[in-house]
Amino acid sequence: MKRYAIVGASAAGLSCAKTLRALDADCKIDLFTDEAYLPYSRPIISYYLKNKVNAQQIYLQDAAFYEANDITVHLNEPVTEVREHALQTQRGKRYGFDKLLLATGSVPFVPPMENVGGQENVFTFLTMSEAERLKAYAEPDMHAVVLGAGLIGLKAAEGLRSCVKSVTVVELAGKVLPSILDDRAAPMVEAHLQANGIVTLLGDTVVRAEGKEKITSVTLKSGKTLPCDLLVVAVGVRPNTALAESCGADVNRGITVDHETMETTVPDVFAAGDCVRSLDILDGKEKIIALWPNAVREGKTAAYNMAGVPEKDTGSFAVNAIDFFGQRICTCGLINDDSAQVLVRADATQYKRLLVKDNHLVGFVLINCSARAGIYTELIRQKTDLTALSGDLLKEPGLMLYARDVRTEKLTGGVRI
Amino acid sequence: MKKVIAREEWCLNCRLCEVYCRTAHSVSGDVVRAHLREDPTPVSRITVEGDNLDSVAVNCRHCDEPACVAACITGAMQKDPETGIVTCDESRCIGCMTCLAVCPYGCIKTGKAAVKCDLCQGTGEPACVKNCPNRALVYVEVGGAAK
Amino acid sequence: MRYTVPEFEVERNLQRCISCGACVRQCSYGVHYFDDDGKTVLADESKCVACHRCATICPTHAIKIKAFEMAYKTHFNWTPQAQQEILKQAETGGVLLSGMSNNKPYPIYWDKILLNASQVTNPSIDPLREPMEIRTFLGRKPKKLTFSADGSLATRLEPQVQLETPIMFSAMSFGSISINAQKSLAMAAKELGTLFNTGEGGLHPALRDFRDYAVVQVASGRFGVHKAYLEGSRFIEIKIGQGAKPGIGGHLPGEKVTVEVSNARMIPEGSDAISPAPHHDIYSIEDLRQLIWSLKEATQYKKPVAVKIAAVHNCSAIVSGVARAGADIIVMDGFRGGTGAAPTRIRDNVGIPIELALAAVDQRLRDESIRNTVSLVAAGSFRNSADVVKAIALGADAVYVASAPLIAMGCHMCQQCHTGKCNWGIATQRPELVKRLNPEIMSQRVVNLIGAWNHEIKEMLGGMGLNSLDSLRGNRLMLRGIGLNDRELEILGIAHAGQ
Repeated sequence: MKRYAIVGASAAGLSCAKTLRALDADCKIDLFTDEAYLPYSRPIISYYLKNKVNAQQIYLQDAAFYEANDITVHLNEPVTEVREHALQTQRGKRYGFDKLLLATGSVPFVPPMENVGGQENVFTFLTMSEAERLKAYAEPDMHAVVLGAGLIGLKAAEGLRSCVKSVTVVELAGKVLPSILDDRAAPMVEAHLQANGIVTLLGDTVVRAEGKEKITSVTLKSGKTLPCDLLVVAVGVRPNTALAESCGADVNRGITVDHETMETTVPDVFAAGDCVRSLDILDGKEKIIALWPNAVREGKTAAYNMAGVPEKDTGSFAVNAIDFFGQRICTCGLINDDSAQVLVRADATQYKRLLVKDNHLVGFVLINCSARAGIYTELIRQKTDLTALSGDLLKEPGLMLYARDVRTEKLTGGVRI
Repeated sequence: MKKVIAREEWCLNCRLCEVYCRTAHSVSGDVVRAHLREDPTPVSRITVEGDNLDSVAVNCRHCDEPACVAACITGAMQKDPETGIVTCDESRCIGCMTCLAVCPYGCIKTGKAAVKCDLCQGTGEPACVKNCPNRALVYVEVGGAAK
Repeated sequence: MRYTVPEFEVERNLQRCISCGACVRQCSYGVHYFDDDGKTVLADESKCVACHRCATICPTHAIKIKAFEMAYKTHFNWTPQAQQEILKQAETGGVLLSGMSNNKPYPIYWDKILLNASQVTNPSIDPLREPMEIRTFLGRKPKKLTFSADGSLATRLEPQVQLETPIMFSAMSFGSISINAQKSLAMAAKELGTLFNTGEGGLHPALRDFRDYAVVQVASGRFGVHKAYLEGSRFIEIKIGQGAKPGIGGHLPGEKVTVEVSNARMIPEGSDAISPAPHHDIYSIEDLRQLIWSLKEATQYKKPVAVKIAAVHNCSAIVSGVARAGADIIVMDGFRGGTGAAPTRIRDNVGIPIELALAAVDQRLRDESIRNTVSLVAAGSFRNSADVVKAIALGADAVYVASAPLIAMGCHMCQQCHTGKCNWGIATQRPELVKRLNPEIMSQRVVNLIGAWNHEIKEMLGGMGLNSLDSLRGNRLMLRGIGLNDRELEILGIAHAGQ
């Protein structure tokens, strides 16, 4: 009987476990997490914060699933060491394995700030336990400061808006969501955030906090001082590679893997998800692509190869769908590629930006017009030659873009009726 | 598994499939009430694209390896291993719409949650097929997908 | 200013309209349209032709088409319709055109003829329990049969066409109707064991598999006629005239001559397809004889050759001549026969009823002892199985139907065939309309219709105590007239009810 160990119980870890079970009914699967929760959805914690879901609705599968699929989940059991087909946990237990998956995800990055460390009202916003702590702490008369206007920071801000008196987002970059929005889209999103009561301060950052045990205010680089009853630090995340490094795997910001099999440089040790250097199929560059669908796919690919079933990974690229206060944002691929031709269609509330390079769609930004966006994503994924399409690419996309025989093949899968 | 197959050459662009899809997924089950009284108006899970000359009805292909399921951050989107039907548990969906961003057929719609074709689960022939006036939609065994 | 008022009115039940827009997208005449709000559906009633496509497809039955009622000062001669027609001509200066068939209230003799049934003295037959023969053979029959010493048939039989029902589908060309409509008829003919007719449109390549169920026409334009066309058919029909427009040729406007039509007809794309009023090589019975025998020669005497004429005043004498010219089958098309396009005045005023023509011709051929030399096929509006049974009793061997199967396919008799905008996908070549008619569905509806008629014919035969259609052919004792005068009864060759 094969023994598989998986460290990390989020998207990649669970996907790997499920796939392994589907491939091999008899194998032993151990899933280790340093958290107190069965696998849950990390992106959902902002919805938990604003009471859109309760603490029971965060789980990806119910407890019965793990029993039915004979997956042993080791809660609160951080893995401290990996050596020669065995891992050691903080509790001092040793578990042998034939193949190991490192799905350790990422850890929040807290930049150096004066008088911030050790204060009780400083939070990150990556895990359920932090969300629980934040929810318990927040009171309606508080002033909240969120450092960082990325996806996590803005989601935290949105969630906090209903819990506290004021929310101020401080972002060092000159625009909100700098990694996924272009210069025209970002102000639209920012305006919508402001209309919903979020204060935004761009091009600025927190340098110092006032208060003992508890922050009472923060001082910004600009010299501005903000009252602050709680501070959420969401400037970014770093791949969690400590365990990989300890077992001798090659790490270069993220864990280095074979992009086809997800195996690390240490034989029988695989890695998937946010902790890995993925290959962006759009520009051929290695990068951290810390996104859910990417983690699920990599976990699955790893499972196949761990089970000895050759299965090549199809490669990654960025796709983001998110909404803030009802404004829908959907982005994909290369957003800020200066060499691409840009097609834009916009009005007061909607914005569509398509990036075309060498007759191929390479990226898009959609604000409040994401209907059927997956069709664009598919054009990007398949690297479809746009000259083979007909119709206006800027309108709501559809299969009518394709030539008739192509769309018939797509729709019928070759079934002739 | 059985899937809805569109036969483009017979599609009239009448869009009755959309009407009957909305009705089948309404609270009242009545075509007039579904469209005029219910709030929100039910969302059609099937979309007719094109014009009178060239049109085709597109709905979920219930893929063998559904991108929407892989992309779902809550576990709401699942493919039933027995029937092969991909459904969204609307009580678990938080409406992030990542599924919409990855569906290659553009078959996920935005309602209160992500909304998609469930093949009218358990009611036999789906409403779109049953009510297509020109047999442009057929419900046939295509093999493969379901285990 | 237009002096004509709309003929119809669109009544939309706003409590039921869900603004789905099916009517907007389905109306080829552009009657329905969305208001600027994209929700309210409005109607330009002046364009409505009452084809009922919108009302039929509306998922909530929110649409009713009503007559646009205008009060006129009563005048029994200058009816509103008479006035409207004058206004139309005053506006356009053109010949009034119509589709389908004569819609004047001339007598319908079928409705003045009653069938007999058995009571006591001869038993009626239950067709569900006993065999009932409606198989029909068309072609020249021998005067008498001779047998060899060994009992085998010595008489050489002329080619015969076997039909499993006395009902065939009349000529409707590809061009006048869509390929899907024609294919529906072809598929139905195959399933029913009967024949469809290509009209003067050639044979579309899509119908090659149905050649064994095709009657091919040779008409005055000779469109699409070639050796394979003739040889592929079950029989050949020379078209002299048509009941809806006797004495008139045909004119398929160039815009309807699509690539496909041009291929089937073997004429240049976009050119008007003009069928002359006469065949310019037939000015006499003798000329007709030449064509009949040429066609027989071309097909090695393997196929019957039919001649179709419109029922006109002297049809008895004409049919006698045609029979003597060598025709194996003679088709007579009464004045209620349909058309894709005809001048309204011709349609409504020329020709005679098929009932009278059939009775007169059958009697004439009997009187001349040449009835066996031809099969008689009656055409020109058979609305139901009882009309068919009465025609057989008046002397027809078989009948042609066209309007009835078209109605089965959706035709609502709006009589706008000539506009080419048929919303039902029948009388049109526009691809977006043609595809509305799916032969898979429509052929089945036609099969259902004719299958139902077959059952009813058997019921009526059984009631008369007959177990085969042959026992009814020309058996006018089974008919009685009602409300007819002596002259009419004499021509029909039947007694009055009560006699």
